[in-house]
Amino acid sequence: MKFIKNHLMFILPLMAILLGIEFFLVFERSTNTYEKSLKEGYSMLVVSKKPMTVEALKILNPHVNASEKIKRENIVSEVAKGVSQSNTQKILLALPYFYNVKLDSYLHTSTLEVIQKDLEADINIKKVEIFGSSYNSSYRLFSFIKFTLKLFIIFMAVVSLFLIIKQMEIWKYAHKERMQVMEIFGAPLMLRSGVLFKVAVIDAIFASIFVSAIFIYIKFYWAAKSGIDVMVQNQKELFVLTDMVILLAAALLIVIVAVYSVVFSSKGVQE
Amino acid sequence: MSNVISASHLTLAYDNGKKEIIKDANFNIKKGEFVFITGPSGSGKSTLLKALYGQLKPSEGSLVVGGLDLVRARKGKLQELRTHMGIIFQDYKLVNEWTVSKNVVLPLMIAGYSTQVQDTQAQRLLKHVKLSEHEEKYPLELSGGEQQRVGVARALSKNPVLILADEPTGNLDDYSSNVIWDLMENACQQLNTTVLVVTHKIPTIFSLPYRHFIIESRGVYEVH
Repeated sequence: MKFIKNHLMFILPLMAILLGIEFFLVFERSTNTYEKSLKEGYSMLVVSKKPMTVEALKILNPHVNASEKIKRENIVSEVAKGVSQSNTQKILLALPYFYNVKLDSYLHTSTLEVIQKDLEADINIKKVEIFGSSYNSSYRLFSFIKFTLKLFIIFMAVVSLFLIIKQMEIWKYAHKERMQVMEIFGAPLMLRSGVLFKVAVIDAIFASIFVSAIFIYIKFYWAAKSGIDVMVQNQKELFVLTDMVILLAAALLIVIVAVYSVVFSSKGVQE
Repeated sequence: MSNVISASHLTLAYDNGKKEIIKDANFNIKKGEFVFITGPSGSGKSTLLKALYGQLKPSEGSLVVGGLDLVRARKGKLQELRTHMGIIFQDYKLVNEWTVSKNVVLPLMIAGYSTQVQDTQAQRLLKHVKLSEHEEKYPLELSGGEQQRVGVARALSKNPVLILADEPTGNLDDYSSNVIWDLMENACQQLNTTVLVVTHKIPTIFSLPYRHFIIESRGVYEVH
């Protein structure tokens, strides 16, 4: 029982740190996808007196990536219902040209305003609508969620580190006597701390496996059934094989640092 | 005969040399000698022993043990020297979570001997100290005298050149003390091991010829 308790006291905080790392990885991947979809879903409206090519717009601002001409006939057919054919034709001739302009990346609102200014500087362009308010609220919400989650992950990692240090203190007292006796009889550092390393590495492997298993379960079983759109859409991003390598490497690094701190603080022979 | 221990103008101190315990001590101990170091409580007997196994660096003078200059020795060399020593403590310093058998073969384990050699040696030594039936027990299941016999067996396990003992019978009754003295006399006689014992009282039953040093007023003097 004591044996299991000793291991769990180390594995659980280690798992908390690994969960934080994995959440961070998943979040980064998911937000990249979301950023991409925001970028693809966003376009500004450009109204011009004359037809404009995408190249002409790119010269005005390099963030312009593509432009799509909005068919004026569609606009006229909507606004000129019940109007005679000749009048419809007149309206059509009087209408300016409309373009949906897409950008090369997901930009801050201030940059959108710069693009708007650059485009409006052209005498042929009558108006540029950047839909700043809706864009800005999406961007701010997105940034806020990202910041909050990162803050939470850091907080969780710090608390878990303290728990690991506490557990290390217990290990230190549990192994101090043995390590000091071994040192008196001339055992080198690696032999003295061999048991600790073995236990810590096993715990690190278990913690990595447990965390990976949780995310594999979420990815393959829970996400699809959850009915949560974000989960379903980002199912692929929930766990990738390289995550397991990252988790194991992080866990090993943490335990090696922790064990060395115990070993060096247990020195009893040199005065 | 060559010197196993050689001290010249040796000064031992704590607090970066501020608190001197032993000052300007000169003595030599040869191979196969049995030596007692006595003195009042707090005189520096255990401090001298600590210096002999490299736990305390001399602040002045020189101290050579087994050919190694302990003033200049690096950590690796000190570790190697300790593998040729057997050290016995008043409080036994056994590893309580290890079996008696594993405690006995600790020096062999450190030296990298095979498990088979360790097992054979453990059985031989435990028979020698009359603890064969306790080999799978843990130290805390034994009496004080038995624990100290385990400590002696551990000290003898690698046929050391030098045995250092710090009040080895300090916590034991007369019977157990006599057993311990017997074992150490045998080690000195049969293996030609140098034995240096720090004690407050030389045993009356002791039969071997020995040298006696006394620590008094920070000096180390031989009693003739």
